[in-house]
Amino acid sequence: MGWCDDRATCQRARSVGLAVLSDPREPSTPRIAVWRKIKRLGAAQISDGLVALPADARTRERLEWIAEEVTEAGGSASIWIAQPATVSAERELATAMAQARAAEYAAISAEAVATAGATIVERQSLARRLRAELRRIHRRDYFPPVEREQADAAVAALATQTASASEATL
Amino acid sequence: MKWATRASIHIDRAACAWLIRRHIDPSAEFLFVTDPADLPAGAIGFDMRGVELSHHGGGCSFETILRRHDLDDPVLWKLAEIIHEADIDDERFDAPEAPGVDVVLRGLSMVCADNQILDLTGPMFDGLYEFFRRATLLGREPA
Repeated sequence: MGWCDDRATCQRARSVGLAVLSDPREPSTPRIAVWRKIKRLGAAQISDGLVALPADARTRERLEWIAEEVTEAGGSASIWIAQPATVSAERELATAMAQARAAEYAAISAEAVATAGATIVERQSLARRLRAELRRIHRRDYFPPVEREQADAAVAALATQTASASEATL
Repeated sequence: MKWATRASIHIDRAACAWLIRRHIDPSAEFLFVTDPADLPAGAIGFDMRGVELSHHGGGCSFETILRRHDLDDPVLWKLAEIIHEADIDDERFDAPEAPGVDVVLRGLSMVCADNQILDLTGPMFDGLYEFFRRATLLGREPA
């Protein structure tokens, strides 16, 4: 498992974008918005206020704007490009991210196959919702686990099945 | 006037440059810097941390420029929704065009220099503007 599968940018393999955040302690709207964005990005949380992402232009830019949002809300934040000191530390971080995605994919697969008793219309709307959810997970999937293909296949099967069923009723 | 932004531009910076040239400063000259600390004297910075024309209140720089320059054209605000979603992707707006625009700009950044991207995306934003201008007038999607 490497930090980078794009050969052209592999000199930067293994670098991690770290955001050190210290936001206003009391639960507040900006605080919730910031953590929701970090979650959407698929960052791994290393400790309180310290999150990590594989470093590339896009993740770095996203983290920088999140940092800006924290600063605007009266907290403090900074971005660091770091290198794990050991291969095992790197692997641990990548594994944690892959496991988090794997759980999300497994939930999608489970929903896609649990359609007994659902009408065609319900299955169609489920297929649409799961496709959208899958796209969101793909965007934060840096170390694709095997569950990814399974979820893709389960949603594709559901979509095909509802498409052919609706054609048959036309 | 000189305008400066971070190098390796993406959707928000490309759209801001288009907006600046079309609606604020027709003779705008764009500079690209790698570090916000290198902002040249006399240049107006945009879409970089620490400058006024940047992300604010969870909005992208394009939205900030519209606000700061009192541009209230609804068509520009429609484009702002697409740029916001392509840039920030937080589902604040329903902009199904955003993922497509995002991929186009990310692809261009792999094969083009920043100035070239501005040249190429100028007509693209003109076209998007015209499409949504007609859609606004018609109240439905134009042909």
